Amino acid sequence: MAGGARIHLTAQGDSALSLVEPASPGPSTGTLPPAAPSKIRWSRPATLLYLAIPLSIGVLAASDPGFTAAGLASYLPTATVDVSYSFLRMSAAYLLSLAFALSYGYYAAAHRTGERVMIPILDILQSVPILGFFPIVVLVLYNLQPSGFGPNLASVILIFTSMSWNMVFGVYESLKTVPSDLREAADTFGLKGWLRFRRLLFPATVNRLVYNSVLSWTGGWFFLVEAEIFTTNGAALPGIGSFLSFAASGHNTEEFLAGLIVLVIVIALLDFLLWRPLGHYAERFRFDQAPSGEGDPILVAGTSGRFRRAASYVTRGVRTGVSRLSTPLVQLAAITVRPSRHPSARRQAVIYHLSLGTILVLVWLMLIAIIVAVYTVFSGTIMPSVRAQMLMLPLAVGFSMGRLVIAYAICLAIALPLAILMARGPRARRLGLPIVEVVASFPATALFPVIIFELVPYISPEGAAILMLMTGMIWYLFFNLLSGIRSIPPDLEEAARSFGLKGRKLLRRVLVPGVFTALITGSITAFGGGWNTLIVAEYLNVGSGQSLSVLGVGQLIDIGYAEHADGGYPLMVAALFALIATVIIVNELIWKPLYRRAVERYRYD
Amino acid sequence: MALIRVEHVDKSFASRHGSISIMQDISFEVKDSDFVAIVGPSGCGKSTLLRLIQGLDHPTAGSISFRDQKVDAVCPQMAMVFQSFALYPWLTVAQNVAFGLEALSWSPERIGSQVERYISVTGLDGFQEAYPRELSGGMRQRVGLARALAVEPAVLLMDEPFSALDPLTAESLREEVLQLWRDPQLPPDAVLLVSHNIEEAIQLADRVIVLSRRPGHILAQVDVDMPRPRDRKSSAFYDLTDRVYSLITEGGSAMASKTRPEGAPSAG
Repeated sequence: MAGGARIHLTAQGDSALSLVEPASPGPSTGTLPPAAPSKIRWSRPATLLYLAIPLSIGVLAASDPGFTAAGLASYLPTATVDVSYSFLRMSAAYLLSLAFALSYGYYAAAHRTGERVMIPILDILQSVPILGFFPIVVLVLYNLQPSGFGPNLASVILIFTSMSWNMVFGVYESLKTVPSDLREAADTFGLKGWLRFRRLLFPATVNRLVYNSVLSWTGGWFFLVEAEIFTTNGAALPGIGSFLSFAASGHNTEEFLAGLIVLVIVIALLDFLLWRPLGHYAERFRFDQAPSGEGDPILVAGTSGRFRRAASYVTRGVRTGVSRLSTPLVQLAAITVRPSRHPSARRQAVIYHLSLGTILVLVWLMLIAIIVAVYTVFSGTIMPSVRAQMLMLPLAVGFSMGRLVIAYAICLAIALPLAILMARGPRARRLGLPIVEVVASFPATALFPVIIFELVPYISPEGAAILMLMTGMIWYLFFNLLSGIRSIPPDLEEAARSFGLKGRKLLRRVLVPGVFTALITGSITAFGGGWNTLIVAEYLNVGSGQSLSVLGVGQLIDIGYAEHADGGYPLMVAALFALIATVIIVNELIWKPLYRRAVERYRYD
Repeated sequence: MALIRVEHVDKSFASRHGSISIMQDISFEVKDSDFVAIVGPSGCGKSTLLRLIQGLDHPTAGSISFRDQKVDAVCPQMAMVFQSFALYPWLTVAQNVAFGLEALSWSPERIGSQVERYISVTGLDGFQEAYPRELSGGMRQRVGLARALAVEPAVLLMDEPFSALDPLTAESLREEVLQLWRDPQLPPDAVLLVSHNIEEAIQLADRVIVLSRRPGHILAQVDVDMPRPRDRKSSAFYDLTDRVYSLITEGGSAMASKTRPEGAPSAG
């Protein structure tokens, strides 16, 4: 949150459209140095609001008749100890990620040959749902060392997988996008070694690194609960994740709230004492003065993976195959499509619709191939019950996709108005954004048991699963849209005002096209988060004989894992591969082309 | 009758060190068929003044009126040409030119013919379906100009319109703007140009308003009594340029012989 408001906009309270408050002070005329007051002003209500969150939790506590404050307080010491364990685990995973990101990122950016192998590998790793790693890592490490160090290491590695990829991409991409004049200036002055690192490379990466670190910690908290429970069969690791999960399964409101309060305090403290000062410090290392079309670097982090070699061969092959096959079909289908003014546009639309169908067929073929492959590998050991579940796999993938699409639609319906409200109203932003930030960084997984206990009777297991998916998707959409609206260049906004564009015309001509790229990137990252959350949202055993289970690919992975000792292993492997294949196909054939088209048409330059 | 009347306008902004005054006690008038240029050092509030005049922003004190009506909202009879062009990258040239007309809720047919007219007036024929990023800087600013002229404004506001262009392109576009200005068939009635380029101001305008450095106040209003086209190499042109230059650098203490005192009404 840098100041730098464009003065002649903010100075005018009743403006019809004061939606832009660029993050960086632009060098254009009519602006002044960053306006500090906005920073000072919003910190005070923000502090109050941080306190209001535990308070509102307290109000919820009143609904439990057996609840006493003393009871809650008695759990606080244990919760504090547990949160310290979790914090240590998170820090260890973060330091590991940092070291990994710096070395991997620097190496890949500096060496052409290394880059060609390293970046595609990373791209595959980041499109694989993080929770997909869980069963494999846990099974391997648990078998190596069943007590003490083994489970702890597994847990740290799991958190690491949720933190590291976006940091590596942050380092790599910021090094690749160092403005060439700065690079050349360093060359002409002969900067080498440590000095080059300090003067050029470190400043180039630090801004992205801080930004992506915040994201990584948020992701880490989200998966912490799973990482502390998943690792052990029975005896959980001490930590705030397992603390919350036990409290929830024991229906202990006091214990649960104590854990919640401690966790919120830790997250808020980290935000205030670490990330905000660091973000402020990193802000000075920005290269660009004007807001870029892609908005915040966060947008690029999740999406611009380069799948150059390995996958592009496959996709190119598939695409040429598709287009050759579909040419006669296109001519046939063209008759049914709504006539458009430009024949080329009509042709494009037809091809696009046809290839969507082709993609689905491709997913299905892939699934069958996976099932057949797993059958042959495990041919001797597959039990009839597992076989039956494996045959459900194509249907399960379809169900999961449907659930994701529904959750996405609801998220969009909430996030878009919220983002417009906060981007356009400085007051709404000042008051609302701190809350949204804390809520967004709070790990929703900790609340999943509550959702299952309290809400399933009202909204059915299906509704609960969709609700849980939404918690893993909505913030990506919201924050992308927010920064997208705010990064519409001020002169475009001013021109719209100057020519008197208002209301729906403003929306159609300026706002919607202006956020289109951000919408696509937000959707891509939201679906990424959604695929991840599937594994917890479709199957969750919360103890006390209560569990949630809806047919889906995430559910089949979980069932396979839970029954791995009883022959569920092939099911887990098949479902995992099915999930990974689906994610990669959808990313490559739907999202990446869409993203490329959006950037081409809607970027600012 | 004055088309635009600016009276004792102050503008200041809040900052961390309290309020910063951008301009103080600015008064001048623009009459029908005036071509007025505002020059001054950077940061003297030239562009802010232009935004105050259109009503995109409000003065801290003083008043601005257009045809004796106080300007308190964005004035639709004025149109702005931006230094950065401010073209919408997702709209074609034709759609960009139609931008201001859509706000006026004209019928599509009427918009279409108006857009065609101004596209051809500004020499953009054949580029209707191109996107801004496919055009050179000079062509982009033609689109900016066409968009502003298409709404047939009474006053054309130009905020450093040639500053982002290379010198040769800027020169030829200046000539074309002058030709358009002298065509009685075409709007606008008056032009207000903001520039930091003194030669450009003298080459184009009938009158040059010279602002001091921040907080900006009017040092002088210099009439340019030279017939067009003006020869930049003539001694009269050179003398005038030199005088304005001295005014700015010396803060207006000397050089009062042929210039009117601060704030005096213009003779037009």
